[in-house]
Amino acid sequence: MSERIYQTQLSNGLTLVLEAMPWLPSASLKLTLPVGAATDPEGQEGSATVLHDWLSRGAGGRDSRQLSDAFDSLGVRQGGSAGRESMSFSASLLADTLPDALRLYADIVRRPELADDEFVSARTTAEQELASLDDSPTQRLFLALSRTLFTSGQGRSPYGTEAGLAALSAESVRADFGRRVSPQGAILSVAGGVTWDDLRATVEESFGDWAGDGVPIPEPSIVTGTREHIDSDTSQTQIGVAYEAVAPGDEGWYENALVNGVLSGGMGSRLFKEVREKRGLVYSVAAVGRTVRGLGYTLGYAGTTPERADETLSVLLHELERIYDEGVEADELERARTGILSSLVMQGESSGSRADTLGRDIFLFGRPRPVEQTKEAIAAITVDTLNTFLANRPRPEFTVLTLGPKAVTRHAVEAL
Amino acid sequence: MSESTTTESTMSESTTSLMFHKTVLDNGLTIIGEHNPQAQTFAAGYFVKTGARDETDEVAGVSHFLEHMMFKGTDKRSADDINREFDELGANYNAYTSDERTVYYGSVLPERRAGLIDLLSDMMRPALREDDFAVEKNVILEEIAMYEDRPNFKVFEEGNRRFYQQHPLGNSVLGSPDSIRNLTRDQMLRYFESRYAPDNLVLSVAGNYDWDTLVAQIAALTGSWQPQDTARRYPDADPASGHVRLENDKLKRAHVALYAPGFSVQDDNRYAASILASCLGDSSGSRLYWALVDKGLVDSAMISHDSADHAGNFFGYLSAAPEALDDVMEILEQTLQGVQDEGVSAEEWLRAQRKLATSLTLRGETPFGRLMSLGSSYQYLQEYHSVQHVIDRLMKAAPSDLDSFLATRPFDRLFSVTLTPPVTPSAS
Repeated sequence: MSERIYQTQLSNGLTLVLEAMPWLPSASLKLTLPVGAATDPEGQEGSATVLHDWLSRGAGGRDSRQLSDAFDSLGVRQGGSAGRESMSFSASLLADTLPDALRLYADIVRRPELADDEFVSARTTAEQELASLDDSPTQRLFLALSRTLFTSGQGRSPYGTEAGLAALSAESVRADFGRRVSPQGAILSVAGGVTWDDLRATVEESFGDWAGDGVPIPEPSIVTGTREHIDSDTSQTQIGVAYEAVAPGDEGWYENALVNGVLSGGMGSRLFKEVREKRGLVYSVAAVGRTVRGLGYTLGYAGTTPERADETLSVLLHELERIYDEGVEADELERARTGILSSLVMQGESSGSRADTLGRDIFLFGRPRPVEQTKEAIAAITVDTLNTFLANRPRPEFTVLTLGPKAVTRHAVEAL
Repeated sequence: MSESTTTESTMSESTTSLMFHKTVLDNGLTIIGEHNPQAQTFAAGYFVKTGARDETDEVAGVSHFLEHMMFKGTDKRSADDINREFDELGANYNAYTSDERTVYYGSVLPERRAGLIDLLSDMMRPALREDDFAVEKNVILEEIAMYEDRPNFKVFEEGNRRFYQQHPLGNSVLGSPDSIRNLTRDQMLRYFESRYAPDNLVLSVAGNYDWDTLVAQIAALTGSWQPQDTARRYPDADPASGHVRLENDKLKRAHVALYAPGFSVQDDNRYAASILASCLGDSSGSRLYWALVDKGLVDSAMISHDSADHAGNFFGYLSAAPEALDDVMEILEQTLQGVQDEGVSAEEWLRAQRKLATSLTLRGETPFGRLMSLGSSYQYLQEYHSVQHVIDRLMKAAPSDLDSFLATRPFDRLFSVTLTPPVTPSAS
């Protein structure tokens, strides 16, 4: 499959990558800029989010409505958001409209209107989105967990803060645009029914003379072992756990993925079996690997009614520790491996997920990871190498955050 | 082995490599497939024509609870076996229950096709063991508690019940904590026996397969199932109009569910209705987007069109600050009235058509995406619709298709339910 992936870096720093999927009538693209909450100016938390919205409100001589109509006339399904370390603009479209769509995105990041009245609307929209979190306990839990876990800017909420949003002005965000939005570290990932020569020519023409230096993302740092409870009058208690795992590209990356698969890959995985199937404590329980550039961590989650929260937390933490103490069985490894290999093939059928993964790979690993290479790496792991990996990892130190009507206490767990 | 009574194969008109297959077994089980020799995966799902609308009040929530119990084991397999085997197949799998149907599905690499069919088919004859029933009841109660904390979901439960009034489409999929606590295993078993008969099921597959081999395997696995001649009731609906406000002091935002009359799956005007809904309330470039989202008056506003079995409606959702709600609702009413009075422009219509066509194309690119469209449209209409057929119908739909509908002033009959914290009068 690797022969289908093409990559180049323009002299201005923009990385272009394509996975050709010639049998598809569609294509997907994702333009990733290393501009997120982590590099928001001090006291202006939410600047990247407001900027991301403002950029789409008119560009290249079109006002907000003309720009939106131009995308809609091409039938483009647009997505994108501003996150912790980066912002993205993504699109799925019929492949023959790709050149026109790319020219519109070049206008957005290079020639945005950034009109004063649209700034007011962009900030109000961000304030609305921040306020809407009040009615979403799970999102509140995870935003608080990241704030507690990170000691670097990566812990900031991409939604910003009330004070940060209030401190923004059209001038400050315009200056932020000039400072942070640049081709340095920008990634344009494309997958679908397009050819490399055509794509490259369009991108050279639209983005080739884009210039600027940008702002580097700070090194991430975390602190674990923290324990906090947030009082909230909710029906369920939300339980969130975080601990350090393998960084993207470091040795043990694929072993770590398999460990998460054994814990939480399918309905036969440990957490689902122990917490939901045997004890009926939850509807939802999971452990997932998360990353920022240069750091990996695992998030655990369970939601349960308050009277069962102590037992749920206890079983969840017990299982997260037990895998380090006891290792995994051969059949568990095989199921986790099968799950990962199978989802790689399924992902390979969709241009949207390939464009997304390629962009993420370049952002985190500095290179695209062809599906075949990942398959080989996963296939090479044996139960012995995986258990050696687990034995050599430090036992996880948990940061635990709970949100609900009463505090949660861990106790000893009896096996069922 | 049961002999198959009907087999049809149709080449899709647009893409010569796609082929449609259909076989009905003697016991009434319908098997349909869309073969794509280029597909890298295979997807299969049992579509059961049963859901919350087929329940009585005494067993409210039984369809969904039963969906959970179907994973709890059969005479041949324990719950552990089922979960483990799905994982061993590397399946991307799940199940869902709606008002109208319950679906069990999975997608695997082509070489694990037979294993997936064997597992899904065995699951369709569950053991429904009493001790599993007791443990799973807790999981259902947790799921109900989880949605209690999600007002954007809860508002539709409140809304459906009041909009449809006595009609079964107003039934809650989850049921209530009381109805779930009181439900017995025997009630569930009786419901299962009447609703999971082979003549009430469609097994849909998509991707890479050999039809004859597949049908032979399915016939062997399901031949002993007995038909029941199960029917769905279609009472006349008398949907409500007007506005209901429910206060809840745990909330911080106002959440609004919106309803207006629309078209059923059986009505071809549904294509035009989905385009009109996109013009009104798509996430980008729609009338509501410009009137509310763009200006930052709401954090969310959407309108969609939902076609059901012999029923259909437009529905929408808004979320705003409680003190802004009156203004937001006024703008909403003006927007709907504007479209009702003057229709939409040709350019708006075409933009919506193109966006919808792109979405349909993308969804149609994977066997998993095809499985869902194939199974549900066949279950409703007993017709095969290729992606190209649906796109052609969509692109042919014209604003004038809705002239007589809009002349009945459907948006005058707007119904809304609002979940909101109490608003304290401002000092001014």
